[in-house]
Amino acid sequence: MAMDQTIYRELKATPGVWQLGVLLIAFIAAAGGAVLYMEHHGHAVTGMNNQIVWGLPHVFAIFLIVAASGALNIASIASVFGKAAYKPMARFSSLLAIALLAGGLAIVVLDLGRPDRLIIAMTTYNFSSIFAWNVLLYTGFMGIVAIYLVVQMFRRIDYRIVRSAGLVAFLWRLALTTGTGSIFGWVVARPGYDAAIMAPMFIAMSFSFGLAVFILVTLVLFRLNDRPVGEELLKRLGRLLGIFAAAVLYFVAVQHLTNLYAAEHIAVERFLLLDGGVYTLLFWGVQVILGGLVPIALVFLNPSRSSTILASVLVVIGGFAQVYVIVVAGQAYPLEIFPGYEVLEGFHEGVVSPYTPSIWELMLGLGGVALALFAAGLGAKVLRVLPTNLSDANVAAKG
Amino acid sequence: MTQLPAQSKKKLGLVIDLDTCVGCHGCVTSCKGWNTQNYGEPLSDIDAYGADPSGTFLNRVFSYEVEAPNKPAQTVHFPKSCLHCEDAPCVTVCPTGASYKREEDGIVLVNEDRCMGCGLCAWACPYGARELDFMSGIMKKCTLCVDRIYNENIPEEDRVPACVRTCPSNARHFGDLGDPDSDVSKLVAERGGIDLMPEQGTKPVNKYLPPRLKDTLDSAPPKPLESVSEEPKGWLGWLDRALEALPGSNGKAEDK
Repeated sequence: MAMDQTIYRELKATPGVWQLGVLLIAFIAAAGGAVLYMEHHGHAVTGMNNQIVWGLPHVFAIFLIVAASGALNIASIASVFGKAAYKPMARFSSLLAIALLAGGLAIVVLDLGRPDRLIIAMTTYNFSSIFAWNVLLYTGFMGIVAIYLVVQMFRRIDYRIVRSAGLVAFLWRLALTTGTGSIFGWVVARPGYDAAIMAPMFIAMSFSFGLAVFILVTLVLFRLNDRPVGEELLKRLGRLLGIFAAAVLYFVAVQHLTNLYAAEHIAVERFLLLDGGVYTLLFWGVQVILGGLVPIALVFLNPSRSSTILASVLVVIGGFAQVYVIVVAGQAYPLEIFPGYEVLEGFHEGVVSPYTPSIWELMLGLGGVALALFAAGLGAKVLRVLPTNLSDANVAAKG
Repeated sequence: MTQLPAQSKKKLGLVIDLDTCVGCHGCVTSCKGWNTQNYGEPLSDIDAYGADPSGTFLNRVFSYEVEAPNKPAQTVHFPKSCLHCEDAPCVTVCPTGASYKREEDGIVLVNEDRCMGCGLCAWACPYGARELDFMSGIMKKCTLCVDRIYNENIPEEDRVPACVRTCPSNARHFGDLGDPDSDVSKLVAERGGIDLMPEQGTKPVNKYLPPRLKDTLDSAPPKPLESVSEEPKGWLGWLDRALEALPGSNGKAEDK
């Protein structure tokens, strides 16, 4: 094992750091106001309805939760797969994973009909419910990754302990994303979900989204403190992102091809792929082309620092669109109680349910993102998790 | 862990006759009234008299246009509420155990003090029979008027679900579908009652009686009716002939 010569230092409180901190706090405060407003007036002030009970806040939340487990990639590659070049970034990778999960869970909890009853979910477990399993998976992830982060930060520790903690965290994050994907995959009643492939697809999504978020957040923090990041390192991360983005496209293709083969899912596939309006546009335009094919082409055809950055931005945008299509389009597509028969009169029965997100939902979602980023930044400010130098020469010296 | 009870002998439920339901929404109104004024938190009504009203209902009626081959189209009114499934997915997915199925009579209920409004049960229900109340923040569903059917403070004839009591066309029937000798079980057997979406494997307790095909015209034209009148005789015969002879009566006199 290569000796760790990396110097870790807390983030310096530059004016840029302060400005960013204040901006994030403003978003968090706005989200707090939105939560109070929605609590006071009820979810009737949101765009949600009886058909679409999970709206824009859940899209933000699921994106963050999925990205959280993927943000741990760098640490896993370093500890579990022994790639020393990734080791300097492993601490921040672990911290960011915890922060993203906290932001995502904050949104989920605050968007509950009765957030005050969360304590019931944490004290009463119905183990036949995937939600109950997820409560354990999320809290377990927080604890395990926190321990993993702590053992990484010990100055003198047997590296086998770090590797063991990393292995447990890696296995746990696979379980966590399997649990998140299974929330959808196990819903047999909804033709837009009901697919076992959801679980591995969510794992691929987490690899891709998490790495993209990690690249962007790390670059912003390094820029705020004028710390160098090497071009070759970014190209390397870009190539890895391209592979993960391709894996996501592969799973998406298999999911839809499998559904097209099953007669009972053809109608929902037609809705998603052909005549679903905004959902079809989001799927092809944003998820597949902008968030999939373009970043892959960028990092492989024109590898560079800017290509990696742009690809990361596009993967985040495409990933958000993908989660939006999964969550909202899956609910908007009507339940088919009498297939082939037309509803003359009813309460949005048999037709695509309309959904327009409200400003309150957007504020809550953005607040969750801000909370995650603020927590990551605060962690980097008080803990020695960010290396002072990620230049190519420095990284190359570690192998 | 919230488990579904072992097969309960008693299976209280509804039998809904799609042949006689006229789609008047009386059951919807009655259900909303009883469940707003009595047990649990009231069912919300938002902008009830405005341009875009919304609210929570435990029972809704949908109207479908159905056209059997070579038959004229007919409208079928389809009331939908919780079917109190034997294998209820809404119960097993509930993370807090707020959703449960009673062992003694098979009614599926939500413990409103334990529901945190996550909405997962609404996804799991293939019938869309659960609604998240946006004012109280908890999940609402048909209780089969559990606070009414066992209520000894009301007259015995009223101890049926409010929707059944109010239905003007007697399209709704309540009883024990676990008892093969009950009126509802006999009705189901006689009329070929069906499960809703049996392919989902939820084994709903509620049953629907299918609409009968409506009468149609035969293809051959109807035979003309035979006359049963007789020629008038006597004074009436003389009057008839006299009237016929008058000018303008069938033109007989004028023709001459």
